[in-house]
Amino acid sequence: MTQRLLNDQVIGQVQEVFDQLKEPVEVLFFGQKDNCDYCDETLQLLQEVTDISDKLTLQVHDIDEDAELARQYKVDKAPGTVIAGRDGDKIVDYGVRLAGIPSGHEFSSLVHDMVLVSSRDSGLGAKTRQALAKLTEPILLQVFVTPT
Amino acid sequence: MVEAEMVEAMEFPELSDRHRVSGVPQTTINDGAGHVVGAVPEDHLIAEINNALKKVAVK
Repeated sequence: MTQRLLNDQVIGQVQEVFDQLKEPVEVLFFGQKDNCDYCDETLQLLQEVTDISDKLTLQVHDIDEDAELARQYKVDKAPGTVIAGRDGDKIVDYGVRLAGIPSGHEFSSLVHDMVLVSSRDSGLGAKTRQALAKLTEPILLQVFVTPT
Repeated sequence: MVEAEMVEAMEFPELSDRHRVSGVPQTTINDGAGHVVGAVPEDHLIAEINNALKKVAVK
């Protein structure tokens, strides 16, 4: 059996945070067969995290074999992870994605993203929402991070 | 209208190099139309987004 990535203490802490989960969250993972150093580990991490709460479900895809779906969710890097909402059998894409493994500090970003998407509320201030509502062209924000 | 992608810089060095990522976090707007290094308060980010859109419009 593969060794778990999350120990009992971490799982306990995440469980506490996941008490805030409201609506269901669908996590879409896109891996790649070749040249993907962190695909296996990312998938295992997502499996362990989504196992913690019944409100979280995980879909596993391949960026090449499921190219159409990857395009739909604008995933162009592997491992790619989409944190989406699930409303009945409908997946609601809020444009929240991760490229690469969410480990180290980014593990808390992963957990936080799940709680945010689950709340169906960005948490942004009124002024920011007004400004964003005026946008007439799409905006892509890429936040570069390192896991340490 | 807005998409947000966390990119692990070490795993995607070509993309990080293209956007000259030297410090993290770095937020890149619309594939290089703008960028901000460090934490970004909401009003600052909105200003940077508007700047980036203006730049593109001028081009």
